[in-house]
Amino acid sequence: MQIKYADALIIGGGLAGLRSAIATGAKGLDTIVLSLVPVKRSHSAAAQGGMQASLANSIMGEGDNEDVHFSDTVKGSDWGCDQEVARMFVTTAPKAIRELAAWGVPWSRVQKGDREVVINTKQTTITEKEEAHGLINARDFGGTKKWRTCYTADATGHTMLYAVANEAMRLGVKIEDKKEAISLIMQEDQCVGAIVRDLKDGTLCAYVAKGTMIATGGYGRIYKQSTNATICKGTGHAIAIEAGAYMGNMEAVQFHPTPIVPSGILLTEGCRGDGGVLRDKDGYRFMPDYEPEKKDLASRDVVSRRMLEHIKKGKGVPSPYGDHLWLDISILGREHVEKNLRDVRDISMTFNGIDPADPAEKGWMPVLPMQHYSMGGIRVTPEGHSVNIKGLFSCGEAACWDLHGFNRLGGNSVSETVVSGMIIGNYFADYCNTTEITISTAAVHQELDKQQRYLESLLELEGEENIYNIKDEMRRIMQEKVGIFRNGKDLEDAVSELKALLQKTKQIRITKKESHLNQELEEAYKVPMMLKVALCVAKGARDRTESRGAHYREDYLKRDDANWLNRTLSYWAAADDLEPTLKYEPLDIMKMEMPPAFRGYGKKGNTIENPLSQVRQEEVDSIVASHQGDRFTLQEKLMPFKLQPEYKRQNERIGEDNNG
Amino acid sequence: MGREITIKVLKYNPTDSQSTPTFVEYTLEETPGMTLYIALTKIKSSIDHDLTSDFVCRAGICGACGMLVNGKPQLACRTLTSDFEGGKIELLPLPTFKLIKDLSVDTGAWMEKMSLRVHSWIEKHEETDLAKLEKRVEPAVADEVFELDRCIECGICVASCSTAIMREDFVGAVGLNRVARFSIDPHDTRTDEDFYELIGDDDGIFGCMSLMACEDHCPKNLSLQSKIAYMRRKLVMS
Amino acid sequence: MSQKGTIESLTGKNSQKKKSRIPAKMDFLQSATGAILALFITFHLLFESSILLGKESMYHLTKFFEGEFLIEGGSPLFIVFLALGISVVFILHALLAMRKFPSSYREYQRFRTHAKLMGHQDTNLWFIQISSGFMLFFLGSIHLFTMMTQAQNIGPFASSDRIYSDMAWPMYLMLLVSVVLHAGVGVYRLIVKWGWFDGSDPRASRRRHQKIIKGAVLFYLLIGLFSLATYIKIGYEHQADYGERYHLKGEVTHAD
Repeated sequence: MQIKYADALIIGGGLAGLRSAIATGAKGLDTIVLSLVPVKRSHSAAAQGGMQASLANSIMGEGDNEDVHFSDTVKGSDWGCDQEVARMFVTTAPKAIRELAAWGVPWSRVQKGDREVVINTKQTTITEKEEAHGLINARDFGGTKKWRTCYTADATGHTMLYAVANEAMRLGVKIEDKKEAISLIMQEDQCVGAIVRDLKDGTLCAYVAKGTMIATGGYGRIYKQSTNATICKGTGHAIAIEAGAYMGNMEAVQFHPTPIVPSGILLTEGCRGDGGVLRDKDGYRFMPDYEPEKKDLASRDVVSRRMLEHIKKGKGVPSPYGDHLWLDISILGREHVEKNLRDVRDISMTFNGIDPADPAEKGWMPVLPMQHYSMGGIRVTPEGHSVNIKGLFSCGEAACWDLHGFNRLGGNSVSETVVSGMIIGNYFADYCNTTEITISTAAVHQELDKQQRYLESLLELEGEENIYNIKDEMRRIMQEKVGIFRNGKDLEDAVSELKALLQKTKQIRITKKESHLNQELEEAYKVPMMLKVALCVAKGARDRTESRGAHYREDYLKRDDANWLNRTLSYWAAADDLEPTLKYEPLDIMKMEMPPAFRGYGKKGNTIENPLSQVRQEEVDSIVASHQGDRFTLQEKLMPFKLQPEYKRQNERIGEDNNG
Repeated sequence: MGREITIKVLKYNPTDSQSTPTFVEYTLEETPGMTLYIALTKIKSSIDHDLTSDFVCRAGICGACGMLVNGKPQLACRTLTSDFEGGKIELLPLPTFKLIKDLSVDTGAWMEKMSLRVHSWIEKHEETDLAKLEKRVEPAVADEVFELDRCIECGICVASCSTAIMREDFVGAVGLNRVARFSIDPHDTRTDEDFYELIGDDDGIFGCMSLMACEDHCPKNLSLQSKIAYMRRKLVMS
Repeated sequence: MSQKGTIESLTGKNSQKKKSRIPAKMDFLQSATGAILALFITFHLLFESSILLGKESMYHLTKFFEGEFLIEGGSPLFIVFLALGISVVFILHALLAMRKFPSSYREYQRFRTHAKLMGHQDTNLWFIQISSGFMLFFLGSIHLFTMMTQAQNIGPFASSDRIYSDMAWPMYLMLLVSVVLHAGVGVYRLIVKWGWFDGSDPRASRRRHQKIIKGAVLFYLLIGLFSLATYIKIGYEHQADYGERYHLKGEVTHAD
């Protein structure tokens, strides 16, 4: 069995992993990226709508800056995010997008003069400034004050992924695809690499590295209905869990309002951002009744819940796949749909035979909220370092860096992938540059042998169960009991049923006894991993007796800042445990730049206040009142944050002098 | 009750000395809106656990699931079983690429080689200051670059191409399109002479015989014909 | 062997580390020679079908090409030179086009299986092109050789005698079909290859080109077949007087 050595090992070849690899590669580190699939097929490619960055080029983005983006992000998170991380993020995002432009992302550009847009279902003419001509354009997205989402039609993730993968290739980063990390190599409390299975020939190889990063994306596939790609199984999280790492806020799972029924393929938020609306069985546009201010563009958790609420009132459209609602983009006109929402049209025509550019009912697309994004993940520090395992880093969707708290804003996820890849990637590179490890080959072989024996033992099982059935059962439980609307009883059931399933995975039988090119064997080792992730989600949700962001408890309807302004940490205390152990990490209101308040959408007066919120708000108000100087020095007073000096520099904008 | 459909697959594992290439037939019930992704997943989980195929996004975005469907190279995830009147579907792995097993082929390695050959990245001379305003680009030019950047490296153009099937080193429409993409990108400083160095031979632009199967099968409807012609005109003159 | 050639063949680059320009030239020349031959054929077939308008028209045209407007009575040497010129272009074209042919059974098998599986029109057209091209190696050579060695034997009766009494018609039938198909597909391929007449919608233009080319191929096949039939008919009627040359009616009447 083979051992490979590298300075930096990055597991996951999507945007976050590749951008990190560019950071380590640029600092001269010998870097290896492992990916389940050729990296350009990563799920990052499926991000359609766009990337948030406060460039303020478009007239509708005028006045946008880091502060506005910060405030939108914190509100979106329902105050669950780490505000220092949010600051690091909004400060770096404009640089990220400019870097991507230089690497060839063909961002849609501002055309000076008049253009027709649809705002609130009405054709409106806006006039773009002369001085903005040729700069990067932006569209509207849910939960944002300004038009801030930069895009390349509706294939934004695709063009970003290609640009970043191309740049990584230019730098000569070593990318190995069809490779799956199945466990981390631990030396006491330090991670020193991973055991990796070659999916083409089934052999195991140990990758020893000074630092290991997990950037494997989300865990949406634990749900029956998800917009996630088939590879988003959370196995990256599982290997961290099995190494003892803390997971953060695993119960924070986002449901997107508009995947198409029944295939579950996402129709971008750009549909509504560009002016599309939701309609019920009577063709009635119902969102303004629930959300008078943001209407169809309230944050995703809110829109998803309102949709299901409306269906429960009997307003859904009946279909063989259950009730659904309509998404109407026909009002944007054929030209707009064919140019800016081309992939949406393509998906609708291919999978449903509906041309959404056709006028009125004929063009309406059936939609229903489905699992979309995992806010939770490997709990890391603002530098991206696991809070309890040395040498283990994580970024992108896989991490709970905690930019998103309990709900992520549309357009902030692809943005996070590259921004965290820049920031965390560089901290990771610094770590690898300053760390030396000493490890005996015997210790490495021990871990290799252990994994080899484990795989062999799976092949030897002669039970009655079928691994595919166990997986389907898990996905059904998650869908029905740990979904958009949650309650104590269902969650309790879910936890015990999932535990039973985890035990059943030891009573399976694999038809073919081969160790390579055997997808059933792969399922056999992945499903128990997925179950561990699912248990973190279900148990975290069971014990969090409040509603916050995407986590919505029918039996605890209020956001409870008094008791639950904290982050759930779940971890496997002992390898043989059937469920995770939970503990909580408090959020410090007194350090927040923006203390908890009303989000501006969703139900009002639905919060159990924490007395400290008021105290901190007054403190903030007095600092603001007495402040003299620009917004940057004010921000520094309110909540200083650490960031690489290169990224902390002020972002140039048209029409904004350097004093903000 | 849906109708019964038959899916015939060429199964072969080249790494297994016991394996011989054979056609295997599966019969299953069609469900409304069934795609080949759904059908193959069903076969894998309930009829033949050993059947191997590649699916990632299952939405026609990632390009992982190209295969020959009744002879035509296409993305399986975007293929509805209801499109086949007789309910008989024959699946073969994409030709030209190295066969991994059954319907799974190694497009990744091929695309990597192609990308390295055409230097599939922006070549530029100066560093970009990330805190400053981005370089301005004419909106129409940005749209044009985007149009060519929509390629998903699914390999269907290569698997459709008679040149590629006969000449192993042919760079394919995907590679020629990639060069055209960078040649019109204002961020890239390469000249026609530079591009000639990359694809100015019979394995490159001059190997193309204009049989158009690339364009006719491209799931992204890329305008490959006119882009290859554009590069050919440029490079013949350069 | 020149050093330059040695360097390039072993390293793929010249001494300035640049790629050879030859492939570009070959690609261009293949198209250019093809275009010349296609252009030649379109007129050749038209002129040759002048027989449909009567022996007299064909006779005048022949005399025109024999250079009657320059020298009294004309000379077949003009035809010889023309045939020689076309032969050079023809051989060059064949040489260049051969690069694209399948070069082994394995390549041929892969191509054919693939094309049959796909059932793709343009790919199938290429098979027609290489098959007809292969035929033309021989048929075209025979015809050109005849024209160079027997340039004097062109005329309403001389040609008909060759076609009928000398049994050249099967060869001409195959030559006609091969050359029309080859030129038709070839011209279509040229348009696609160089992106001429793409217009604002290249896809629509391509469909239009396909239609036009189909029409042209049909037209040339028809006039070609009718002309051949006419030559055969004349040859049949003239078999008793094999070898007799055609004279204008006016001349004959006048002589009488």
